[in-house]
Amino acid sequence: MQQEAVLALLAKEPAHAYQLRARLDDALGPLGEGLNAGHIYVTLGRLERAGLVVVEEPCAAPDRSDRKLYTLTPAGQERVSQWLSELSWPKPDLAEFHLKLIAAAGAGLTDPISIIGAQRRELLRRLRDAQHAVMGEPADSDASLLLEGIVLRLQADLRWLEACQRNWASRRSNHRRSDQ
Amino acid sequence: MTNSSLVQARALRKEYGRGDGLVRAVDGVDLDIAPGERVAVMGPSGCGKSTLLHLLGGLDRSSGGELWFHGRRIGQLSERALAEMRRKEVGFVFQAFHLMEELTAQENVELPALLAEVRPWAARRRARDLLERVGLGDRAGHLPSALSGGQRQRVAIARALVNEPVLVLADEPTGNLDSAATLDVLRIFEELHAAGQTLVIVTHDERIGATADRLILMYDGAFVDETTLVGGTRRSLSTLIGLEDSAGE
Amino acid sequence: MSRLFVILRLAGRDLRHRPGEAVMLVVIIMAATAALALGLLLQGTTAHPYQTTREATSGPDALATDFPAGTGAPASPAALRQIAPLARAQDVDGHSGPLPVAFPVLTFNGHADAVLAEGRGNAPAAVDQPELTEGSWVHVGAVVIERSFADALGVHAGDRITLNGRPFRVAGVAVAAAFPVNGVGFLEGSSQWPNPGLIWTTTADAESLATRQYPLGYVLNLKLTNPADAENFADRFDPGGYTNNTGGLYVIPWQMISHQDGLLMAHEQKILLVGSWLLALLAVGSLAIVVGGRMAEQNRRVGLLKAVGGTPALVAGVLLAEYLALAVIAGAAGLVAGRLTAPLLTSPGAGLLGAAGAPQLTLPVIALAIGVALAVATLASYVPALRAARTSTVDALADAARPPGRHARLTAYSTRLPVPLLLASRLAVRRPRRVLLGSLSIAVTVSGIVAVLFAHATLAISQSAGPAVTTNPGLADVGFISQTARENQVLLTITIMLIVLAAVNVTFITWATVQDSRHATALTRALGATAGQLTAGLSAAQLLPATVGALAGIAGGYGLFTAANQGASASQPPAWWLITAVLGTLIAVAGLTAVPARLAARLPIAETLQADGP
Repeated sequence: MQQEAVLALLAKEPAHAYQLRARLDDALGPLGEGLNAGHIYVTLGRLERAGLVVVEEPCAAPDRSDRKLYTLTPAGQERVSQWLSELSWPKPDLAEFHLKLIAAAGAGLTDPISIIGAQRRELLRRLRDAQHAVMGEPADSDASLLLEGIVLRLQADLRWLEACQRNWASRRSNHRRSDQ
Repeated sequence: MTNSSLVQARALRKEYGRGDGLVRAVDGVDLDIAPGERVAVMGPSGCGKSTLLHLLGGLDRSSGGELWFHGRRIGQLSERALAEMRRKEVGFVFQAFHLMEELTAQENVELPALLAEVRPWAARRRARDLLERVGLGDRAGHLPSALSGGQRQRVAIARALVNEPVLVLADEPTGNLDSAATLDVLRIFEELHAAGQTLVIVTHDERIGATADRLILMYDGAFVDETTLVGGTRRSLSTLIGLEDSAGE
Repeated sequence: MSRLFVILRLAGRDLRHRPGEAVMLVVIIMAATAALALGLLLQGTTAHPYQTTREATSGPDALATDFPAGTGAPASPAALRQIAPLARAQDVDGHSGPLPVAFPVLTFNGHADAVLAEGRGNAPAAVDQPELTEGSWVHVGAVVIERSFADALGVHAGDRITLNGRPFRVAGVAVAAAFPVNGVGFLEGSSQWPNPGLIWTTTADAESLATRQYPLGYVLNLKLTNPADAENFADRFDPGGYTNNTGGLYVIPWQMISHQDGLLMAHEQKILLVGSWLLALLAVGSLAIVVGGRMAEQNRRVGLLKAVGGTPALVAGVLLAEYLALAVIAGAAGLVAGRLTAPLLTSPGAGLLGAAGAPQLTLPVIALAIGVALAVATLASYVPALRAARTSTVDALADAARPPGRHARLTAYSTRLPVPLLLASRLAVRRPRRVLLGSLSIAVTVSGIVAVLFAHATLAISQSAGPAVTTNPGLADVGFISQTARENQVLLTITIMLIVLAAVNVTFITWATVQDSRHATALTRALGATAGQLTAGLSAAQLLPATVGALAGIAGGYGLFTAANQGASASQPPAWWLITAVLGTLIAVAGLTAVPARLAARLPIAETLQADGP
């Protein structure tokens, strides 16, 4: 679990550790079962040491971890913005992208649709490159086998992105309707 | 109307049925296609992309809106003029190939030329040349039943090209093909594009869509997204396996 | 039991799904069965009519006549003396007469003919009482006319005629068995009146009509104790038979009259026989087309039924149920239609009781006609069901079993033709058997028409030649006319039936072709052929074989007529008749095919292409 994901979840508003945990659970559903409770605290600790979050302690509370209130520092906010607009896709990490969208929507920082669109374009370009590479290779070379695998995975990812697009687009139109 | 467009559509509509049963297969589409461009239209099944292609190719008449092709308004053309357009200016490639079962590959390919009243020997020669181009020169005398799916589609592509159309329309050309056959078709399209052929391809295969210059996403009869894929700097292929810094662009 | 229910449900739903097809099937089976039944019925006509009339009118077992030999011979008293004793001869059981017979000239509507006027009383005679079919019996100043004669003249009860210039009224029209239907050959004794008509008057009127030139003759109707022996009886009194032409006493047994009737009928029966074969041929051709067409379409449905879990038995059951239902309905309707039309052709000379002599719908005929209809049903369902049991479901669904035909050289040659002909030849090549059947059915029809034309021409010539002896050039041979008129009517009716059946055939073939080539048509339009070119092509695909068939039909018709005529003299119809027949047929074919062709050529392209496969 990328620490940026946890960081981004603080972008909307400061939160306690247990609140962050709840937001993660909501976002991941049953997929979050295996989430180690302690992992959150470790990540928050790292972020704090990196200067990306800062802890506000309520005045009259004893020194207990679970009562700490975590807030983004300006450096943290910048890191979040950077992360939101990053287009790298080194390993298919659906959960990370999924959280990215939720965090962006929650924080009102960027339109999830545009994140999806940008990522789609990037993947399409990669697919195009891979496809060209495939056509340039002789049929039985080792590289062509690897390229075929990459093409198929990119294709699968693109399909998921299309589903994300439809899903978030309908969420938006529902919102609009309920706002009226 | 911009003169540089080969195809132009404004508020194009196609509806079926009436009242409660009204289906808007194509719902207000605006489109410009420049000569030599390769455009892909993608979307879930039932989104109207095939219907759109039929409208562009003159296989069907629109219910509303305007459509210009090669400088002419299509909506006003007579049946006969539309047939001539289909004959000489448009080449169609179908998902189901649609070859005549009782004709050999060569006879299938030369048919549109014969319909265009090309001399029989000239039609035959054109057919032979095109079959060579798609790699089926040695199978010219085979019936479709003796050809694989990929080979049949290549015959169909050759047929679509026999009258040197300005526009080639392909409706799910690789829908019924395996990976190897799909690659063959992609290679042919690549060559056509390199030769300056204008292509519009409807597909649900992202691999095909990614090769286009422009990828249009269609949903419920309307365009919802348009991506221009051509241009941009060429990156190292290693980024595909995460071998260098994934800084993106 | 529940399986039967399932079968019936599936069959019913299938029929409802394609009502057009079901209707076409019923129509063609009905037409074919009607033609077949008619053919069979016509072949079965026998000499019954004479028998029935004889029974109804108490026809005589023997007929004694004593007519004057020529003009001026004062036969009357002598004739009476000669003929009267026969009434009391041995073996005679009953008699009526001697009846006086005069020979006036009848005029009606500008038409004049010599007639036999037989004098009758008011009371019904014991032997030979004519049966009225119109009006009432004779009284003073009013006559009754024999039916075939009345038909030929066009006269009815209530009309006015003149006999020897004197005005008379027509009281009624009747049939009798005592004279052959139009008197051919019977009265050769009186060479001046080879074919007079027959009328009945009162005795007084008959006697008043005798002239010095044509005095009275007498007729005696006899009932014998042993009717079968009538010929021996006749020989006793008239050993020379009526081959003598000199007048005087003649005795004619009823078998001779029956035979004369039979001779008349023989000619008609020849025509009916030939006509029935033609009809049967066309009927079989239609059925072959139906069966062939339906069999092909079944494969896919069989595949579907199997794919949803139907066993081959269930599949066969569904198909059989559908076809049985249709075939029984169509077959029964066809039988009825054939039965109703048969009397039109076989009313055996108006001179005999037509209704009573109508062809019998005997059990063998019914069985054969219904049997044929059922055979069609079974064939149409059995063969695909059998195939279904053998082919894999996948193949059946892909309808792989019946690919369109291919002819490499013709396809290559067709590239040089203009577009509509190119399309036509390729369409025809796809289903060569259907083309052949279409061509054959036109050939059969045109053969029939041409044979009729030849027959008509021959009859016309012999009609105008007529009997050699006529003292008065204005006198036409009315009896002969009535025969030829009827023969023409028979010919015409058969021709019309042939045309109707052929029209049904052509329509069905066109429809089947159009259905079959729907996909190819749409594809060809997508590739750039205009609707007009396809209409022309679809039409030409029918018209070209029809032309070949029509030309063959001319030769066939001539051969048919020659065979039927059995070497008798024939004359050729004028060339323009034949040309008109051929051209008319081709125009009709073009018309029948143009409409479905046009409809097919204008179907929406994209929809048709996406529908079920090639």
